Amino acid sequence: MADEKKKKTVKGNNDRPMANPTVVLREEFDDWAILFNPDTADAVGTNPVGVAVWKLMDGKRSLEEIIGEIKDQFADVPDAATKDMTAFIKDLAKRGFVGYELKG
Amino acid sequence: MTEESPKIGQSALKVMRSPRSVDIEITSRCNLRCRYCYYYDNPAVDYNDLSTAEWLHFFDELGKCAVMDVTLQGGEPFIRKDLPQLIEGIVRNRMRFAILSNGTLIDDTIAAFLADTDRCNSVQVSVDGSGPKTHDACRGEGSFTAAIQGIHTLQRHNIPVAVRVTIHRHNVHDLEAIAHLLLEDLDLAGFSTNAASYFGSCRLNADEVILTTQDRQEAMETLLRLSEQYDGRIDAQAGPLAEGQMWSQMEEARMKDAPPFPNGGYLTGCGCHNSKINVRADGVITPCSMLPHMELGRINLDSLIKVWKNHPDLDRLRRRHTIPLADFEFCHGCPYIPYCTGNCPGLAYTMLGQVDHPSPDACLRRYLAEGGRLPIEAQPEDLKRKYSEGL
Repeated sequence: MADEKKKKTVKGNNDRPMANPTVVLREEFDDWAILFNPDTADAVGTNPVGVAVWKLMDGKRSLEEIIGEIKDQFADVPDAATKDMTAFIKDLAKRGFVGYELKG
Repeated sequence: MTEESPKIGQSALKVMRSPRSVDIEITSRCNLRCRYCYYYDNPAVDYNDLSTAEWLHFFDELGKCAVMDVTLQGGEPFIRKDLPQLIEGIVRNRMRFAILSNGTLIDDTIAAFLADTDRCNSVQVSVDGSGPKTHDACRGEGSFTAAIQGIHTLQRHNIPVAVRVTIHRHNVHDLEAIAHLLLEDLDLAGFSTNAASYFGSCRLNADEVILTTQDRQEAMETLLRLSEQYDGRIDAQAGPLAEGQMWSQMEEARMKDAPPFPNGGYLTGCGCHNSKINVRADGVITPCSMLPHMELGRINLDSLIKVWKNHPDLDRLRRRHTIPLADFEFCHGCPYIPYCTGNCPGLAYTMLGQVDHPSPDACLRRYLAEGGRLPIEAQPEDLKRKYSEGL
């Protein structure tokens, strides 16, 4: 049943990541947050930039567009942040927190 | 609230925006009447149940608050015919759940339902004996067989089973056989223990069920040995095993004149109110099931978030860790102060009527003064003598 639920989240537009709607964003304090997947009990702690990225993953924005918006939202985002954000989204996708539409 | 890192005894901890977990006494009804039940016979509790619709409405609020887990307890949760409907409300609101049960009402239908949700962290079943003689002594005839059947049913459906063993006068000599039953015959990953303590029905039957000092010592020694024998598969947050582990560390620290423990010297014994909250069966919000008299509000009438963030009684509990043990007459002259946390506020209240007080039941000095011994090689005869004379 868990595998079926994971597959359900793999929807969106090719390169446009979409947050798994089952995942809970728990903003705790100082803008730090936990992403919690109740289907798997998996949880990821994240900082304010991660929270902003999460909120932008609506299946409509591409990775590049998300990173561009983050750079607009936060002052002094270093170049290395692009790599970090890409790795963050890939990790979330690997863990079933984020999906992409399957081709065909 | 400040931006500084919280320091024990100096500043308040930051408060989460909402509780991570909620304990829910989903019913006040139970098919058993165990002699050491902490829940029944408490004059502070109104033993009435809410309707299905009232709970479902509340679960919607929990979902909006991003609560991660609920623990359904009671009473006996499986006594509610609408349990599947209630659990669907929990699942719909993106939460996981655990259930605390006596195990006797679990059948294949409900177990299959729980398994299908994929959200069940565990079902905890109470097992207090290796056979009917010790288990049924306080829980009632037939309860052992039904509980073991319940465990088998859960296992058939691959639901994680947790077992809690409550230690009392009738099973203190049965611990080795209980461990064998649970870890070898039933092949459980582990189990936890506590002890019958001064809450609810147990207070009324204290002389029959609560461990004597000698019982406590025997339980401590046996459980420490079994915990080692079974490679840590037996654990405890309270009761003789937890006390044996903690008190041994405290005594070793005292003998070495070690620096204070990081949480020592203040009322730090409970941090539950920083991440969780409790709801009684009648819908009253309380900090914990061990503090049912502290009414903070009522679900579906009061905002959970407002109660969580603003209620002065919760704030006071959260500041409890700033109260030094040295301020209590009860603790004057105690060499264990730097290593002591004061333990459970619920026990302090039920025994003394004061939440902001160390629990006398968890006092190492008192235990030694009453003739108790610690299960460590360096058991200090001198210390026992010293406190026997001094108290």
